Amino acid sequence: MFPLSLLNAATDNQILIELKNGFCYNGLLVNCDKFMNVNLKDVTLTSKNGQEFWKLNSCYIRGATIKYFQVEPELADRVKDDDGFSGGGGGRGGRGGGRGGAARA
Amino acid sequence: MARHAQSILDLEPHMNKAVRVKCVGGREFTGVLKGFDKLLNLVLDDAVELMRDPEDTDCTTSASRPLGIMVCRGPSVMAVAPNDGYDAIANPFEDAEEDEEEGDAE
Repeated sequence: MFPLSLLNAATDNQILIELKNGFCYNGLLVNCDKFMNVNLKDVTLTSKNGQEFWKLNSCYIRGATIKYFQVEPELADRVKDDDGFSGGGGGRGGRGGGRGGAARA
Repeated sequence: MARHAQSILDLEPHMNKAVRVKCVGGREFTGVLKGFDKLLNLVLDDAVELMRDPEDTDCTTSASRPLGIMVCRGPSVMAVAPNDGYDAIANPFEDAEEDEEEGDAE
């Protein structure tokens, strides 16, 4: 199971994302990309100390700032089935091709 | 250029609307989005920096300072959200926690 397969499987599901600064985003995962950038909607934001809360209609988070994300445990069973198809292999191939192109240029 | 994946972030609906931007390092800005590019560089008009607690530089205070028009550089952008509907609320998890505790006690 690739980490990004799990994230992909979590699309349209509730997800908890903690950023490197300790802030926690709880919301519905709208979509994500190979950089782990995500779009969330109906988000509850919790401050680092867990004392302050905000409500956000939607929000975009840059993948590089994510410390970890948590999904519903049932998702792990669902993602195993399509492991070979989602993300991983195709993503690697694509990037390799890109590098080749850059080297020639 | 073809190897640049299409960004999942569509800022077009937020054009000329107030957005709230969190930056790497903890600074936070609000401003009217006047432009953006695929690297997430943002042009904010009437931008306001939300000042932070000097003791805890991740937390903003009610203080702010006006900056006017500014460019927020893409690589330092951490999170973007529409300012409309961005409100402080009471602990939404409190009820759930209490229920859990009651459940444990039984």
